Amino acid sequence: MAEVRYRDATRIYPGADEPAVDRLNLDIADREFLVLVGPSGSGKSTALRMLAGLEAVDQGSIRIGDRDVTLVPPKDRDVAMVFQNYALYPHMTVAQNMGFALKQRGVSREERARRVVEAARILELEAHLDRKPRSLSGGQRQRVAMGRAIVRHPQVFLMDEPLSNLDAKLRVQTRAELADLQARLGVTTVYVTHDQVEAMTMGHRVAVLDRGVMQQVDKPRTLYRLPANLFVASFIGSPAMNLIPSSHDGRSLAFGSGRCAVDPVVATQMARFEATDVVLGVRPQGLALGTGGTPAEVVVVEELGSETFVFVELEHLGKTIRVRVRVDAEYSVARGDRTHVTVQGPVHVFGPDGLRLQTRSEADHGGST
Amino acid sequence: MPLLPALLFTIVITQVPFLFSIWYSLTDWKIVPPTPREFTGLENYTSGYSNPFFLDAVGTTLAMTVTTVLLSVVVGTVLALLLDRDFPGRGVVRTLLITPFLIMPVVAGLVWKNQMFSSVFGVFSWLLETLGFQAIPFVERWPLWSIIVVLVWQWSPFMMLIVLAGLQSQPTDILEAARVDGASSRGIFAQITLPLLRPYLELGILLGSIYIIQVFDHVEVITGGGPGSTNVPYFVFQRSIGGGWDFGQASAYAIIVVIASIIIATFALRLLSGLLEGHEVA
Amino acid sequence: MTTTHRERVLTGETVWGTLTLGLTAWFVAAVFFFPVFWMVLNGFKEEADANASPRLFFEPTLDRFREVTTQTPGLLGFSEAFLNSFWVVAVSTVLVLALAIPAAYALSVRPVRRWRDVLFFFISTKFLPIVAAILPLWIIARDLGILNSHLVLIILYTAMNLPLAVWMLRSFFSEVPRELIEAAEIDGTGLWGQITQVMLPIVTPGIAATALLCVVFAWNEFFLAVQLNPVDASTVPIWVTSNVSTRGNFLAKLSAASSLAVLPVVLAGWLAQKRMIRGLTMGAIK
Repeated sequence: MAEVRYRDATRIYPGADEPAVDRLNLDIADREFLVLVGPSGSGKSTALRMLAGLEAVDQGSIRIGDRDVTLVPPKDRDVAMVFQNYALYPHMTVAQNMGFALKQRGVSREERARRVVEAARILELEAHLDRKPRSLSGGQRQRVAMGRAIVRHPQVFLMDEPLSNLDAKLRVQTRAELADLQARLGVTTVYVTHDQVEAMTMGHRVAVLDRGVMQQVDKPRTLYRLPANLFVASFIGSPAMNLIPSSHDGRSLAFGSGRCAVDPVVATQMARFEATDVVLGVRPQGLALGTGGTPAEVVVVEELGSETFVFVELEHLGKTIRVRVRVDAEYSVARGDRTHVTVQGPVHVFGPDGLRLQTRSEADHGGST
Repeated sequence: MPLLPALLFTIVITQVPFLFSIWYSLTDWKIVPPTPREFTGLENYTSGYSNPFFLDAVGTTLAMTVTTVLLSVVVGTVLALLLDRDFPGRGVVRTLLITPFLIMPVVAGLVWKNQMFSSVFGVFSWLLETLGFQAIPFVERWPLWSIIVVLVWQWSPFMMLIVLAGLQSQPTDILEAARVDGASSRGIFAQITLPLLRPYLELGILLGSIYIIQVFDHVEVITGGGPGSTNVPYFVFQRSIGGGWDFGQASAYAIIVVIASIIIATFALRLLSGLLEGHEVA
Repeated sequence: MTTTHRERVLTGETVWGTLTLGLTAWFVAAVFFFPVFWMVLNGFKEEADANASPRLFFEPTLDRFREVTTQTPGLLGFSEAFLNSFWVVAVSTVLVLALAIPAAYALSVRPVRRWRDVLFFFISTKFLPIVAAILPLWIIARDLGILNSHLVLIILYTAMNLPLAVWMLRSFFSEVPRELIEAAEIDGTGLWGQITQVMLPIVTPGIAATALLCVVFAWNEFFLAVQLNPVDASTVPIWVTSNVSTRGNFLAKLSAASSLAVLPVVLAGWLAQKRMIRGLTMGAIK
């Protein structure tokens, strides 16, 4: 059990110009489930592997508990890792796979057996202990990989996209089981994924990375409601936020044929920028179809059963743009329908540097946390 | 460093003798007749370079290597294509076909010479006579080709196995895509299978060349260096411990061969480098 | 798997086409195998039957096999040659593996810098004609007092097979997912444990195939054996040629000897045919 502390941790691959991970500062609390999320190439896996000791830390440091592990080899870090492809030893049985790390540490045979059986019971693998990985299903292999980490009782669990090889249904189910297991065991966990739904549903906090730089780290709800910048706004939330280049007059923003008002504090900040240097952000839930507002034409209808997303095209600042609108499942709409769009929900304004302009209450609470 | 023992061993065993060879090649060292060893500089090279017998041996080596490798690749590819389909007894057929590669070269040479090619009791001549032709002393009439036939017999199976590995590694979705796109069997072979096989063919050519350029056993037992069948390895052997005992001169030939080999190897290794690059990309 | 009628229709193959190609394959295989078959057959003949117009039917006898395995005083005997070959081949193959396994590890799992150059160097030594080195080798061996010993052949066969073994083993090692080694590292194993407890058990089939190919080449090697070991430690290929005689008929006897000489390697090759080639091709391509 321990907290993890990245301090300006940087990794530059030999021969690369840009750092894969650039001055990462991140504090992970004891027992916390922290998710690193980002698109491929964002450095999330590298950051995890730096913590595992599989990648060198070129600058900065990493601490686990009160120990600086920056230069400690993986085997002495007391971390356990679940790999994307599970990395089960094909020549060992399930029990041997799970007990391997304990054997390396000189744990007695009886103690090893006890801990393996215990982990197998938690993961419902007892019936398969004597089988080789190749005769297991994908879900079972995934659980063996988990078991291998659990028996260790390590200070930190590291998980590198552990669910990405499962089919969609099993993934959703395992997601919940894994989150529950982590809570029960209470082991600090760092979890890497490219899937923002996974990140939002599992993480106590989520760190969003892009091109090696951490963009924001927050509770899932805060990330969704108060994204720090354009990247987080576009990456978090499914379906994604509508981000529309707009123009302002110091008080309100243009949207289609109308305008939408913004928070006075935001407006003051906005007034410093060129009129056309702002981006309007509004989630599909913040838009509504109806009889008033900007005329629009329906182009795509996505019915999910519980709700429906509608793509509409409308005239905005002399161009045709396409936005996504959420409507109730009962709402009847078809391609080609003519309708009108109004802005109803929260509106975000992003400045030319991509940062979101904050309201007074956020600023009072000390930034976005 | 785990690499060191293997590297040191290889350097000592393969490079040191060549340094000795270079020294010998600059002397007029003969054992028969025994003469005092004297430093003669590049004389062995200038005389050796213009020796028509040596030039013949170089020509023979090239002809033997190129012909054997090309024929083996072609025959091996045909065999592989025959095997790359399902039919009763396929495993047995493959086992029969690879056997020649496993046969000891000396045995292969002797069996072919005495029991296949022989004009007296050879199977080939018996076939010819049965069909109403005259028996032919194959080895005496075509010494080089006799050796090549045996070499192709031994190396085609090797090429076959490599090509077979290539054929079986073809991704089926590509073949299926081609079929859906309306390609004929012949079109699929020419436009998809062959390009995919290319790295395998290159590998076969490379490995085959490495071994066939050094052939000695077959020459020794089939023709004993008979007319037109003396390749460079056998030539150097004849000039030194094989009866010539002119160590200085033989060493000079050897060094010339080494230099030529390095030049050929450079090209071959560039090919190899391409193979490794491909490995990196995929 | 046998292709069904429906599959054949889909791929545009006809029953006749399949049959013809299958028969062709059988025919070609028979042609290729014939010399081997003939050799074995002749080994069971009387000299008179062997040295006559070729015939398939005769009264088989084991006398030739008895003859070639009977020790004649002063001459190289069957058991002596096989024993010599056995030791030389076995020891050199073990040595090759002992040297090649760490080297291949260093070239694949944790590639040293310039690993390509190192691999090139190993392969390039195979291009150097052995015949060009035989003279110094002979002289060095004589000066070291190891001419006519097992040792000199063991050393040279090890050097001869080492590049191929490094090449093949590197291929097999590269196939082992990197994640497995990393998992072992996190599980607390050092370098030695990673090699012995994770790597080697996984690549055992590949190591077996590599060893087999080394055995084939070493067992069949003739040139070095005949140049460096003509008297005391003669191997099987030399024993085979000693059955060629200038006086009298020797065909049946030579056939019997040849059959015995190729038997171990042919059997081993039959058993490991698939793996051998996978090892040769996998690492180079893909």
